[in-house]
Amino acid sequence: MTKRCTILFGVEILLIILLVIVNIHTGSTDVSLSEALSIIVSGGKGDVTSTIILDIRLPRIIAAFVLGGALALSGYLLQSFFHNPIAGPFVLGISSGAKLVVALLMVAAVEYGMVLSSVSMIVAALFGSLMATVFVILVAKKVHNMSILIVCGVMIGYICSAVTELVVSFASDSNIVNLHTWSLGSFSSVSWSQVYTFVPVVLIGLVAAILLSKGIEAFLYGEQYAFSLGMNVRLFRVLLIGVSSLLSATVTAFAGPISFVGIAVPHIIRSTFHTAKPLVMIVASFLGGGAFCLFCDLLARYLFAPTELSISTITAIFGAPIVISLMMKRKRG
Amino acid sequence: MLELHTSELSVGYNKKPLISDICLAVKQGGIVALVGPNGAGKSTILKTVSGMLEPVDGAIYIDGQELRNISKSQRAKWMSVMMTGRRDTEYTTCYEVVSVGRYPFTGLMGTLSDADHKAIEEAMALVGATELRDLDFDKISDGQKQRVLLARALVQEPKILILDEPTSFLDIGYKIEFIENLKKLVKEKQIGVLLSMHELELVRNVADQVICINDHGEVDCMGPVSEVFQTAYIERLFHIAPGGFERIYGRENAALKREENTEVNRDYRDEDSDSTSKPVNSQRRAHFLMVQGTMSSAGKSLVAAGLCRIFKQDGYRVVPFKSQNMALNSYITEDGLEMGRAQVMQAEAAGVKPSVYMNPILLKPTDDCGSQVIVNGKVVGNMRAREYFQYKTKLIPDILHAVEKLEEEADIIVIEGAGSPAEINLKQNDIVNMGMAKLVDAPVLLVGDIDRGGVFAQLLGTLELLEPEERDRVKGLIINKFRGDKTILDPGIEMLEERGDIPVTGVLPYMNLHLEDEDSLTERFERKAKGVIQISVIRLPHISNFTDFDVFEQIPEVALQYIQRPKELEDTDLLILPGTKNTISDMKWLKESGMETAILKYAAKGNPVIGICGGYQMMGQKIADPNGVEGGGEIAGLGLLPLETILEERKHRRQVQGKIQDATGQFAEWKDLEYTGYEIHMGSTRLVEVPGTGSVGSTVETPGTGSIEITHDSDSSAIVEFTEGQTGYASGNLYGTYIHGFFDRSEIVETLIQKIADAKGISLAMNQVMDYQELKEQEYDLLANTMREFMDMKKIYEMMGLHHDRNEV
Repeated sequence: MTKRCTILFGVEILLIILLVIVNIHTGSTDVSLSEALSIIVSGGKGDVTSTIILDIRLPRIIAAFVLGGALALSGYLLQSFFHNPIAGPFVLGISSGAKLVVALLMVAAVEYGMVLSSVSMIVAALFGSLMATVFVILVAKKVHNMSILIVCGVMIGYICSAVTELVVSFASDSNIVNLHTWSLGSFSSVSWSQVYTFVPVVLIGLVAAILLSKGIEAFLYGEQYAFSLGMNVRLFRVLLIGVSSLLSATVTAFAGPISFVGIAVPHIIRSTFHTAKPLVMIVASFLGGGAFCLFCDLLARYLFAPTELSISTITAIFGAPIVISLMMKRKRG
Repeated sequence: MLELHTSELSVGYNKKPLISDICLAVKQGGIVALVGPNGAGKSTILKTVSGMLEPVDGAIYIDGQELRNISKSQRAKWMSVMMTGRRDTEYTTCYEVVSVGRYPFTGLMGTLSDADHKAIEEAMALVGATELRDLDFDKISDGQKQRVLLARALVQEPKILILDEPTSFLDIGYKIEFIENLKKLVKEKQIGVLLSMHELELVRNVADQVICINDHGEVDCMGPVSEVFQTAYIERLFHIAPGGFERIYGRENAALKREENTEVNRDYRDEDSDSTSKPVNSQRRAHFLMVQGTMSSAGKSLVAAGLCRIFKQDGYRVVPFKSQNMALNSYITEDGLEMGRAQVMQAEAAGVKPSVYMNPILLKPTDDCGSQVIVNGKVVGNMRAREYFQYKTKLIPDILHAVEKLEEEADIIVIEGAGSPAEINLKQNDIVNMGMAKLVDAPVLLVGDIDRGGVFAQLLGTLELLEPEERDRVKGLIINKFRGDKTILDPGIEMLEERGDIPVTGVLPYMNLHLEDEDSLTERFERKAKGVIQISVIRLPHISNFTDFDVFEQIPEVALQYIQRPKELEDTDLLILPGTKNTISDMKWLKESGMETAILKYAAKGNPVIGICGGYQMMGQKIADPNGVEGGGEIAGLGLLPLETILEERKHRRQVQGKIQDATGQFAEWKDLEYTGYEIHMGSTRLVEVPGTGSVGSTVETPGTGSIEITHDSDSSAIVEFTEGQTGYASGNLYGTYIHGFFDRSEIVETLIQKIADAKGISLAMNQVMDYQELKEQEYDLLANTMREFMDMKKIYEMMGLHHDRNEV
């Protein structure tokens, strides 16, 4: 690992610590830093401030960090799969696919009075994202033009969103409000029980990605070359897509579709770290995605407080220009 | 010692064998090369041998084990592969690129051990890439990249190395460096190499064994390089005209190994240019003469045609040639292939059948900066001008092949140039003018046009802009289209000869001949003549094959005009809808320009309308383009005939001959007359059912004028088959056919004109209509005789290395 990478890793970690502190500190109720610390250390006294810190802000911070990291990592894996830096779960319509299936499940649950477990949400989201992914891969086999692929992805996104909206407007319960916030993307209303579910899932994804890093490096030079090195290319492709889908599905299940993090973060990491080494990219993208989402969530909560913006509003403002610049920079397709 | 070999291997895609019965063996320390034309399947073989593709049949063995039974990691340790096509990298040093090759040796996380680092350093040192170590792979030159990739293949410590065109994109310096590196490491590391390569000079140097794949998917020949590589064999394998290989590569450099008897023939031929005797062996080459002009329309085509006729009269077998034509008007040969019409005209003058080899490259403009490229009669594709400029040098083998074919049947080949040889912006890669002359070593006659003025400046200026060696090829100057007293010109000619140091071999008078000349495009369209009988052809924006109507110009009473405005339709006795390159867009133009309304009105009055090819399609009710041949969509036609046309990607091309089946209306007497011609169109036209009686009398809505009642005599309004094989239909005074050249037979034209004259109550001085073919023959003789009179034919024969003293022939 180069000196540059070591320094930048340090910067990332410092940034995360700083953002966590600011996130705990700021919000509709101001809690001083020392007070917040003492609440966390002591375990709280059961008052309102303790509840805000322990049951609202802390799980939300963890969600923003872990799910943000998962999203960036998922984007990096997709980019490796498609050999293209503009691939990401949101632009390829994968997040929207997950959103649709989750929304269907939620409405059905409300209709029939079922209670949804976090695990069933993940399974539904995974199902939806895999469906969208398979579709995108089929299209990619036919057209070798990334721009067309992205237009297809965006269209899938629109179709899924339209169907979601349709389902939502025919749903009959007050839970719709929740569903609406969720479908725009938000880290609010994350509970500890959800944290206990998604943290292990994302960690499994992270470890799997790290284990795939050797293969990703060979795969960077093309499938034929990877094959000639003795790699089981078919299995590798399945694993890569599986892990990527698992990660983006988990994010969608708990925070809804969040745009552009998957493209923007790996791009920022690549161009600051000046490396293409998969192991470095995986870890740095994960940390970077966490930091990025902590920052964006902070803005979403703080900018027009007490009104909260959807997280996608913020990530799109930072992310979309990066996608556009990447598309313009590419010489072909 | 490890060996890779195949047994009865068939390779291909989707279980379809592309190449069968491949038996090759690569031993450690040996280099085997695959050679063959592009697309022969060399890469497919390499991919199959390296396991990326499943063999269609047979098997591959390494060290006696079948490839499919060898574990992936074992395979990777035995064999490394370097294919063409690279992924772009970002922020990756060359060292990192090479290190990926250690994949089979590293653990789960791919961490490099000290041994790995040592192997990487060693591999990089071996190919001389040590100093590239920390450079970004994306930012080094192609040659350096190739070095790094070779190191990456080596770091796998393979016993067998497979390389797909490793030198293709390198400049000559890097090519040599790469080959030397490869030879060194084969020796030092005892690696066996299987590679594909296009550069035969390099193959000869590097390989022990060659395997030649021909483009029929066969292993054509294999063996030691020194035995396989003989000039004649290579020329056959790559379809190069005899001698073509040397001509491009130079005799010493290219001659791989020459067969003895070829050597003798060649020497014989070289002497020939200085002696009067004709060599008597089949390898003899024809004599060439090239006609170039100082500008377009200087009269090259006619001068070349005249020369063809003169040589023919003198008893030589002569053929015309022009490497590349740019024209909308094409001709279909008996084999159904497309070629330019100028060479057809010259072939007629030479008294030979037109052959596509006389014009191997035909460009048909599709819009302002793109053309359809047709090579040896077959459509290769559409190209932009810039794209073609790059591409055209690849066509040199096709040109030489065509010349070779013509040589089989000819003593003299008269080559026509294109435009001016002094277009200094286009001179590079030239294959039509001086580039062509150089390819076949032809003497050049330069034709200037005095009619447009400035003939001395044209000739001297052109000479001035030529390179010295090109200028040396110009053996004579011709002043064309001269009118008046030649003595006035003489002092100028003297000075011209003095300054240019090239003799003026002829001053040709202005001749008015009834011969097809595609260059007279603009003149033709602008002519607005008035005659006793007025025939109007609609000047469609994409008009094509307008030479169909040349025949009318020889009838004194007839005035032929090309019209674009509805008003010009007045006083027209016969309206012709010509062929078009783009039916749908021209149909649109008809509607927008108001011509549609005018045509419908004209037809409604019972006037005759004839549609040829595209014009015939437009007379129908609908033209649809479901496959996007002309950009898609569909459009309503004129609705004059109950027809529907669907444009298809397949092009119909054939020569036809037949009898007019049935005819109605004014020209009913056409029935049973014979016609000849050809079809060339994309799309097929079918009759649509008309409700009721099969009558086409119908009301057509036209913009602006409301509706027009189209009426016909009740007996003639039925739709009848007009030309054979459903290629045309007629109804009343409306006639449509796909046949180009429909008017070439004199009976058809005579009947046509006579009927119009009768209707108008005019009497014609009839016998003047002569068979068009016969007329053309007379014109060619007139041309040849005039040229003989005004040109120094003795000098011209001398230029070609012929001493013509056989007037008795």
